[in-house]
Amino acid sequence: MPRIPVSVLVKAYRRNPLLPLLLKECRSLDSARNELRWLRERALRDSRLPGRLRGSWPGWRARLRSMCLWRSRGFPLQYILGDQPFGDLEILCRRGVLIPRPETESYTVEAARLIRQALAQEEPGSPGTRSLRVLDLCTGTGCIALLLHALLASHFKDMIVLGVDLSPIALNLAQKNLDHNVDKGLLSRRASTDIHFQRADVLGRSDSSIPAVEEVLPKYFSQSGALSEPSATRCDLLISNPPYISASEFRDGTTARSVRLFEPRLALVPPATGSTEDAQDRPEDIFYRRILTLSIKLQAKVTVLECGDMTQAGRVVEMYTAMTSSHSDHSSAEIWPSTERDLAANGFHPYDGSRCVIIKRWAR
Amino acid sequence: MLRCGRFLSPVRFGLRPFLRRSHTDSGLSPVLLTRARLLAAEHDKLSDSLAESFDTKIAKRAGELASVTKVLKEWDNANESIVELKSLLEDAGTDAELRSLATEDLESSREALPTISDRLKKSLIPKHPFADLPCLLEIRPGAGGDEAGLFAYEMLRMYMTFCSRRGLRPTILKQDVEDGPSEDRLSEAVIEIEADGAYDLLRTESGVHRVQRVPATETKGRTHTSAVSVMVLPSFPESGSGLDNALNFEDPSSDYYIDPQEVRVEKMRAGGAGGQHVNKTESAIRLTHTPTGTVVSMQDERSQQANRRKAWQMLRAKLAEARQEAREQELVQLRRGVLGGVARMGRGDKIRTYNYGQSRCTDHRTGLTIHNLDDVLEGGDGLETVMESVRTWMADREVEAMVAEELAKEKK
Repeated sequence: MPRIPVSVLVKAYRRNPLLPLLLKECRSLDSARNELRWLRERALRDSRLPGRLRGSWPGWRARLRSMCLWRSRGFPLQYILGDQPFGDLEILCRRGVLIPRPETESYTVEAARLIRQALAQEEPGSPGTRSLRVLDLCTGTGCIALLLHALLASHFKDMIVLGVDLSPIALNLAQKNLDHNVDKGLLSRRASTDIHFQRADVLGRSDSSIPAVEEVLPKYFSQSGALSEPSATRCDLLISNPPYISASEFRDGTTARSVRLFEPRLALVPPATGSTEDAQDRPEDIFYRRILTLSIKLQAKVTVLECGDMTQAGRVVEMYTAMTSSHSDHSSAEIWPSTERDLAANGFHPYDGSRCVIIKRWAR
Repeated sequence: MLRCGRFLSPVRFGLRPFLRRSHTDSGLSPVLLTRARLLAAEHDKLSDSLAESFDTKIAKRAGELASVTKVLKEWDNANESIVELKSLLEDAGTDAELRSLATEDLESSREALPTISDRLKKSLIPKHPFADLPCLLEIRPGAGGDEAGLFAYEMLRMYMTFCSRRGLRPTILKQDVEDGPSEDRLSEAVIEIEADGAYDLLRTESGVHRVQRVPATETKGRTHTSAVSVMVLPSFPESGSGLDNALNFEDPSSDYYIDPQEVRVEKMRAGGAGGQHVNKTESAIRLTHTPTGTVVSMQDERSQQANRRKAWQMLRAKLAEARQEAREQELVQLRRGVLGGVARMGRGDKIRTYNYGQSRCTDHRTGLTIHNLDDVLEGGDGLETVMESVRTWMADREVEAMVAEELAKEKK
């Protein structure tokens, strides 16, 4: 990491003695100034709360100073403030659960657009009468599941969204987020009954006591009356932001210090399973093969998978092409965003940084 | 009441020769009267058709014309009674008691006439298309370096307190400070005043404000002059559907429609890895309207969605104001032939001076000076007085333009 020039530090200090603290993590004065304002607003807001909720801080200045000190050690802003905007939602953030990223927000919005488009082409009937089934794997805070409901609920009469995660802390927080956003009126009332969170293992390891994803799905996605038949389990949109960082990228500085130290490794780096099925792929790609298998099995009309970068996304597309080469599957896999317009409009770097793979499947 | 003295500069009278000449005995130019009669006739016709079948558009137009009709009726009644009283006085058979009563009545009627004709004139002024809208007020320092930035901050405070005092609840949409030791050197600020009609209330403030004072940083005690530009922009609600057809910015046939294809959206985020590898907190948005090159950027909120909404609101406001300005400019060109050089104040013109040394605030449009600068800068009654004088001035200019236009029509 390049050193911050002393002149910038001095300039920052002159403006506000707390700014150099934030500069350590923010790297740019503009961004540090914004963070300082957000932290100050929060400290002031909390100081006006009634005594019991306010905590033991003697005053907002002391609180602000302490917040800045935490931040200077790399502690994520969202854990300090306790939340992060995601679309129009307010997602609560707690240690032990991955903080929602802006890229994920872009993928979610694009996924919502695509599934509406796909279903409108398929059944041109009146929009209010259709139903929609959504599966979100590795849901974490539940941000994707909740935002999809916010974006799509008005277009579908029936909607089921299932968020799956391995971590009980995450599932607990996801449920809290559902309640929190319904309470704030950011999600419609029906979200409480439309959205479910369920503990399951996406990797489906036989040695664990946690059920595999396939086992929990029929309960939510089976067509009525056909519960016994596994082929009847279908879903329309499959979306996931699985752990995708390799062990070396986690260590070598590609992953930011703040992320490495304070965000859960479970959500970032796939575990070593030792299974032969996984051996054909790189260790950081093992989630994708499982999810792609599930996507084919569930005949998902749209599948959206977040990847770490272009090369990883390329590997996932290749993996999918190889998996479907034997049977005549009417589908396409592509990397998004790839056009100049999509990249700029969503704030993506022209060749660096995260991408997602989008698979569209047509009914035949 | 104001503790300050006020004087009207001779220039103010010099600006209105045209109106004076065109005045008739009754204090109203015949062209305006003709126009009022036409509008009243239209109103009666619309009312008749409304009695048969209701139509929101017609009802709205009728509502707009109702005040003209009402004031015109008052005016006619006043004139009628004057004529009657006069004939009564001229009649030799009227007894002395009645005569003295009639004289009294005639006087009071004559006194009331100018007020009525003033009201009639004002009711004839077409409503500004943005008059009912809330507004955004943008403050930018101009020439004068640091000092301009400092004064821009004081103007921000002035408008904030002015609005709060009137119960308008202003919110700061954007506040960018310049690099320097203090937080009070603005490089740009935007206030949103959400109350309906705020645009009409504040549109007197658009233009260049000049400050003359000895800056805190000045060691030799010299007075500096610097400038701050203020722009009052219409603020459209988030969805255009609640608006009139003309103002519905979502309707491609509206004058204020913006084609999304013509707007480049950029999320400004530092390059490099994204996704799970990093956790950046930047959420800035920049919009560029390619045909006009108008750029708006917003970074104040943590939520990108919120920044995007605010940026769109700003972009719509700026483009709508620019389009309205262009239309007004066109009108001025048309009128120029009739009026000669029209004194029209654009946003580039110096409209007001705040002089600290003499503790005065002078508006250059009306020539009004308030000798209590502190009160003006605190957004108090002084500022209100200045703004009210400008409102009257603006109305007078509108009436002049109207007379000119009607005259031009007659010549053809």
